Amino acid sequence: MSSSGSSPAVRRLELIVVAVVAVLLIVVLPLLNAQGLISNFTLSLWGKYLCYALLAISVDLLWGYTGLLSLGQALFFTLGGYMHGMYLMRMIGELGQYKKPIPDFLVFLGWERLPAFWEPFSSFPFALAMVFLVPGLLAYVFGFLAFRSRIKGVYFSILTQALTYAASIMFFRNNLLLGGNNGFTDFKFILGHSLADPATSRALYIASAVTLLLAYLFCRWLSRTKFGLVQQAIRDGENRVLFSGYATMHFKLFIFVVAALIAAVGGALYTPQVGIINPGEMQADKSLEAVVWVAVGGRGTLLGPILGAISINALKSWATRAYPDLWLIILGGLFILVVLFLPGGLVSIPARLKALWKKLRREPEPPPASSTQPAQPVSAKS
Amino acid sequence: MPHPLLSVEDVSKTYDGFKAITNLNFYLYEGELRTVIGPNGAGKSTFFDLITGRAKPDTGKLDFGTDPLTSQDLTRLNEFEINRLGIGRKFQTPSVYTEHSVWDNLVLSLKGPRGVFASLFHRLSSTDRDRLDAILRTVRLDAKRSWKAGLLAHGEKQWLEIGMLLAQDPKVLLVDEPAAGMTDDETDRTGELLLSLAGKHSLIVIEHDMAFVKQIARNGEVTVLHQGTVLCEGKFDEVQSNPKVREVYLGRGKHGTR
Amino acid sequence: MNFLARLIRWLLPLLLAAGTAARAADTPREVIARAALAEDSATQRQLIGSLMGRGDDAIAPLFEAWRTDQLFIYAAPDGTKVPVQLTGPKDEAGTQAALRIDTGAALTGPSGPLRLNAADLTAVEHTAALRRAMKAVLDLADLAAPDPAKRVLAIQTIGLTQDVEKLPALQARTPLETDARAKAVLREAVALIQLKDEKNETRIAALTALKELHSLSTSDAIKRTLKEAEEARNLPVAAAAREALRAVENHRSFVDFFGTLFRGISLGSILLVAALGLAITFGLMRVINMAHGEMIAVGAYTTYLVQNIFGTGITIPFFGFSLGIPGLNFSGGVYQSYFLAALPCSFIAAALVGIGLERSVIRFLYRRPLESLLATWGVSLVLQQCFRLMFGANNVQVSSPVYLSGNWTVNDIIFGWNRVFVVGFAILIVFGMWLVLTKTSLGLLIRASMQNRTMASCMGVRTERVNMLTFGLGSGLAGLAGAFLSQIGNVGPSLGQGYIIDSFMVVVVGGVGSIGGTILSAFGIGGIDQVLQQYLPVIAPGLGWVPGIGGFLQNLAQDAAVFGKILVLAGIILFLQWRPAGLFVTRSRSLED
Repeated sequence: MSSSGSSPAVRRLELIVVAVVAVLLIVVLPLLNAQGLISNFTLSLWGKYLCYALLAISVDLLWGYTGLLSLGQALFFTLGGYMHGMYLMRMIGELGQYKKPIPDFLVFLGWERLPAFWEPFSSFPFALAMVFLVPGLLAYVFGFLAFRSRIKGVYFSILTQALTYAASIMFFRNNLLLGGNNGFTDFKFILGHSLADPATSRALYIASAVTLLLAYLFCRWLSRTKFGLVQQAIRDGENRVLFSGYATMHFKLFIFVVAALIAAVGGALYTPQVGIINPGEMQADKSLEAVVWVAVGGRGTLLGPILGAISINALKSWATRAYPDLWLIILGGLFILVVLFLPGGLVSIPARLKALWKKLRREPEPPPASSTQPAQPVSAKS
Repeated sequence: MPHPLLSVEDVSKTYDGFKAITNLNFYLYEGELRTVIGPNGAGKSTFFDLITGRAKPDTGKLDFGTDPLTSQDLTRLNEFEINRLGIGRKFQTPSVYTEHSVWDNLVLSLKGPRGVFASLFHRLSSTDRDRLDAILRTVRLDAKRSWKAGLLAHGEKQWLEIGMLLAQDPKVLLVDEPAAGMTDDETDRTGELLLSLAGKHSLIVIEHDMAFVKQIARNGEVTVLHQGTVLCEGKFDEVQSNPKVREVYLGRGKHGTR
Repeated sequence: MNFLARLIRWLLPLLLAAGTAARAADTPREVIARAALAEDSATQRQLIGSLMGRGDDAIAPLFEAWRTDQLFIYAAPDGTKVPVQLTGPKDEAGTQAALRIDTGAALTGPSGPLRLNAADLTAVEHTAALRRAMKAVLDLADLAAPDPAKRVLAIQTIGLTQDVEKLPALQARTPLETDARAKAVLREAVALIQLKDEKNETRIAALTALKELHSLSTSDAIKRTLKEAEEARNLPVAAAAREALRAVENHRSFVDFFGTLFRGISLGSILLVAALGLAITFGLMRVINMAHGEMIAVGAYTTYLVQNIFGTGITIPFFGFSLGIPGLNFSGGVYQSYFLAALPCSFIAAALVGIGLERSVIRFLYRRPLESLLATWGVSLVLQQCFRLMFGANNVQVSSPVYLSGNWTVNDIIFGWNRVFVVGFAILIVFGMWLVLTKTSLGLLIRASMQNRTMASCMGVRTERVNMLTFGLGSGLAGLAGAFLSQIGNVGPSLGQGYIIDSFMVVVVGGVGSIGGTILSAFGIGGIDQVLQQYLPVIAPGLGWVPGIGGFLQNLAQDAAVFGKILVLAGIILFLQWRPAGLFVTRSRSLED
């Protein structure tokens, strides 16, 4: 599973695939949309999938590469979304239902003036900074506490879930002054452009695709540095890493914050494209859903989570319409099956098929440095 | 008399009422190769745990450093800080990074900065590469450098872990049962390697195999642990003829296996 | 009006003394009959007024009849006048059966019961003043109601209005009252009204009485008195009021404290019962069962099913099929006992589901805790959706048996029966589990396998079977918890989700693998949560000083339930800094553990 062990040929192939897909997503799809060959709806749907792919990468960076199963990534995603959403809410101006200069829900709660902490969000740069700062800071504080007391494994998962849960019940309250149940919606403008304009959505879509590509390249680079080696070593045996002189806490904290930031950017791009952000997005279930994407796509790889996020969400879009009653059963069942029978996820299927093919042809096994299946090598003793 | 590099004074450790180490006193001098023997449950591994920070003693002092002014109290440090001081450990059960290649295992152990940002922008210099190549040849894993470490045989993993220790180049090497799972020939080679390290490094070797102990304790002293405390210390022959040691060992069989 | 009130107050004791002393044996009927015959309206009012504070069911209908001109005077042939009421159907001649007002018996002439025609009789007159007097009596009729609870309520209502006019009635009632609680309430009501008195001595005496009674509901009235006294610079009264208020507030904090304590214990019991199953599956087996909440829901739905089977039956739709389960149509006590039958059923149902889950999914994942977490989450999704398909997305109605509804109030502290039951049940379950784990061979096997699975299997323990049974036991306990949570909260498809995080927190804080730790942490978390809920709203207004977010915090802290929960979670994270392995640590010597 370690990418450091992948053979150069496989890595080159992966890069070619990524280049082709990137061109398709970043150039071809928007062009087709501009020509009217792909509907605006489809394009924004894909924009949503790509934002989810960012979330999936952040889950994978922690789970697949560091062995930290965080069930709180949706929280960081949603926080990013909220920070951007606050800017978008300010941009509605007086076009809301109540025709007041403050967001509708505040009017509804009986506020006359904008609460102080809302003020600076009229500035896009400030909101952008907050997209990074707020989730990053939360991840830093939580991670610091969790890693300092060496909480790991399932305990870490449970605690992150508790964190998400606490945050979601808080965001559901009106008293937080962030829209309560309904969150933010009815956005009108971003940076002076109308969100109703197809060109704006196209630009947002392209921004998402480019961000995803950058995140992919960053993670790819990261996994090949010595940091990546330490990270994966932590996954396989954290105590051994400590005895090699690495302060694993710092490594985990760093990657936890980075993952939170990637998720937050995903959320920030998600909000204007989907047009709504509410506390439902940060519930524990959403984080677990993101884990499903990664598991199905293939954890410990970089293409896996992207593939998983897009395919499961496409499946969801279809199934919730075709079989609304059965969707959760499909999702749950799929998850059980993947965990039990396909731990490597979708991306491991080619390698599995190849192995099967080789077995059928009774070829001898090569030194299996890149194999995910631990096979018994020839003993070195002679 | 020089100041010891590592001094363990009056150290005790209990686990849920079980006295693993009781009032242990132990001194290691620079360049020494010390062999520690003792029957099962004598507290040998716990002794290493205490030095490396995996366990904290209930009472007692653990000081590291030849200069009393700059010596460090190991009980106040955690695992990675102790490691960075220059105390490396090879575990009893070989513990290598099973998902990493043999080469990457060594890269991870290579002496050098251990911080987050240092590792982000770390590049292997050509001298580093040469050193790692040399180590690979020493531990005879040259041909398997791109193998996943998890796929190595037990003895090879032992060698790899020794190689990792060499790459780290620590001041003190704590070696826990290095010969387990090795052929006689390999055991012999391990012994020679350890002996060649003594002098430049200080070593503490825990071992059960008496033939091996006899080999490596050629020049150094042997410490016998029994019930968490030092039973006797001295040259191999002295220790072997010590009636207390004979009693402890004869009562329990010569070769304990874990 | 004021004059009238004072007149009555002054007159009434006198009149009562005169009237009641002479004719103590008069029944209300006789009094009304005499009033009907009385010549002048003053006497009438006086007689009617004398009924004040007499509890008799006859009074209200008679007054009603009088007010609506249904009370007549029958002049007997011998010249005596008898007040009567006409009842029953009219016959052809327009006559009805006549009842004597004074006895309620039929009016008889020489030849048996008489039938009279309303048109032949004169209705008894009534003036506005008389009607007012009647209303005053009726208002106070509940003071003498046969049911003590009703009396207490009536007395309290009067006391809180501090209506001076009603004081005589209360005072008249005082010597007649026998019920201890009603007596106390009477004293309190009298004292409350006396606070309005002009004489300082009376007010101070009243305040002293209120101080002795220190009833919570009197605090507002005392505060008002205190304010008035301070404004009027009436120092003695103000001092007395302050003292009375202090007594009441002391009592309030006493009640709050023990109320909080009790609620904390009962919440702790709920958490404990919900977490016990988890303490076994997670604590002893190290299996992260995210479907634990759904096991709880299985228990709750089983209770619902049993209830319906005892009742009229139920039809369950499932994937297009529908399964009709006939009901036993019990009623009364047998129906009420459905809950006792539901307890073992929900244990068994959840245990079976748990064993199925263990056999089909979890046994493949014993060495991979993170994977078992994920797979069981998948199971939880599937189960939730199944509940939704079978029982609907909305909450189902599980009725509480009578013996679990109702309260028990001691010293103003309210103990809900279901909460008391929860506490008792928790104690029973813990005791039962302790018995199973320490006194049975299964318990021995469980403990052996959980401590060292490999070793146990080497010693011939069939660990596969033990795993299955242990998981079944843990799930069954979750099912029991469900049966019991159905009595406290809603039963719906996402019932389990509400408990899963709390349950995990309880086990983690207690120390994984330690049942004792689980118990301690359940009560700790429950207690702290309730304390926060009780006192956060008190603290909230004082949070304004925090720079920048003061107002925001004030706002947030008002949401005690939510904010308290968040603080508890934050507290848990901080607690784990101090004790990363929870309250009770179980050690291991392996490198990666």
